[in-house]
Amino acid sequence: MPYPILDPTGATATTATPRPPRAHRRKDLTGATVGLLVNTKQNAAPFLDEIGRLLVEQHGAKAAVARTKVNFAAPAPEDLVKEMAASCDVIITGIGDCGSCSASAVADGIVFEAAGLPAAAICSDAFKVTADAMAGLRGAPGYRYATTPHPVAVLTPDQVKERAARVLDDVVALLVAASE
Amino acid sequence: MTEPPDPEAAQAAIEYCYAQGWSDGLPLVPASQPLVDRFLATTTKDPGEIIGEIEQVGRNCTVYLAAVNAAMAGCLPEYFPVVLAAFDALMRERAARGGGWQSTSGPAPMIVVNGPVRHELGFNTAGGAFGPGFRPNATVARAVGLIVRNAFGIRPHVLEQATQGLPGRWSICLAENEEESPWPPFAADGGQPAGTSAVSATLLRTCEFVDNRHTPDPEHVLNDIADTISRTGSLIFKETSAGVVFCPEHAQMLAGAGFSKQGVQEWLMEHCGRTGADLRRAGKNGLRGIARFADSDQSADDSFSRILPSPRHVPIVVAGARNAAISMVVRIFGEWSGTATPVGPLTAAVVLT
Repeated sequence: MPYPILDPTGATATTATPRPPRAHRRKDLTGATVGLLVNTKQNAAPFLDEIGRLLVEQHGAKAAVARTKVNFAAPAPEDLVKEMAASCDVIITGIGDCGSCSASAVADGIVFEAAGLPAAAICSDAFKVTADAMAGLRGAPGYRYATTPHPVAVLTPDQVKERAARVLDDVVALLVAASE
Repeated sequence: MTEPPDPEAAQAAIEYCYAQGWSDGLPLVPASQPLVDRFLATTTKDPGEIIGEIEQVGRNCTVYLAAVNAAMAGCLPEYFPVVLAAFDALMRERAARGGGWQSTSGPAPMIVVNGPVRHELGFNTAGGAFGPGFRPNATVARAVGLIVRNAFGIRPHVLEQATQGLPGRWSICLAENEEESPWPPFAADGGQPAGTSAVSATLLRTCEFVDNRHTPDPEHVLNDIADTISRTGSLIFKETSAGVVFCPEHAQMLAGAGFSKQGVQEWLMEHCGRTGADLRRAGKNGLRGIARFADSDQSADDSFSRILPSPRHVPIVVAGARNAAISMVVRIFGEWSGTATPVGPLTAAVVLT
């Protein structure tokens, strides 16, 4: 009787992660406080700030408040999630523009959904595979997020604004209930 | 053994491992329970003990999984205490616990082995220090790569996003040439007493040689190394970290001129850096927090920015043969933890092997 070849992944011991809940969608963003979770990547802050500004100006959001996640590779700390969940109505995370931060921007979006806040993660399109892989790891395969073309870090301030404007409709669609 | 091994069976087992997606591209040794048991017999650690965790991907590595991967990497069972020490040393690196394995920079672990275990297990301590050619050096480094791939599940093109990666990833395991080094062993810089078998590790973004064999002046050598360390290409933050793997000849020349290891580190801290104008030409003169960016301001053109903040940012190792004056600058990803991990006691089973 030959010996079986041993599995080096330990995957057999892992139990399937249950699908985390998705937050209830509002009809629109009127009066909503928008939380911006900035991951410190180059141009992430002005990019999200511009989205916040446009949501207030064009979609009736009440205000946008930015918080910074210092360790871009890791999921947002629990305290920060609690604080933002208590003070905001919807969340935007990003910009996922590196190997670890794209994955963690998506992971943060999934955490906020479970905390009851509609979330829109924004990643550069060069990192879709890793962002999708993280969604699968968090029990949310097929998780939807918004993308902007790579690269983001080299954009001028005007180009950042133009990019923010271009992704705005996708972000809104992720945050509100489908209209039909 | 009465009959020679069956190559057809071996090939089928190797192909099975490829088909499962476990391989780093090269053939694996198919691991069986009796083989892995021999690995586990070399350590007093419990097979279920968790020795590393990557929180964001929700995966960890146990002693058992490390043993399976080390066996598949081609390690002999007696190398396993060194694999465990290397992995511990590596997981002390902030970058390795954070997003390092997923990073676009695709960093390579550099493992440094010190003490009697080098000779007990047959590590190469002389020429060709960066490999290849020697089973302990090659397979201990490879074991770490397989753990990241299989136990952590961080695979190329998926959770691993290296843009280009670098030559030598999963293959750099130096055994310090203590016998020809004029200075205390590297593990002593990591807090272990000289004579201890211990392993240190950090992450590299690349290596670059400094070939300087036609001068009797140690300051020429140091200036040559400082020039290499000071390249703008590797500067992304205000400060950086760059180690030097000295060949014995350079190390002995410097020691002969009165340089201690600390003396060399201080010299390099003082002399490594660039002028504001150099940095501006490379688009790296501005600072936003600690990150460098292009700033049109020319007022700091004449200033000199030093880039190595402490001796820990300039780790020094001595490795290689005493046959030419060629040393290596190693570009560190993040910064070295400054600690070494002792190799657990080799059990009787290992000594008998």
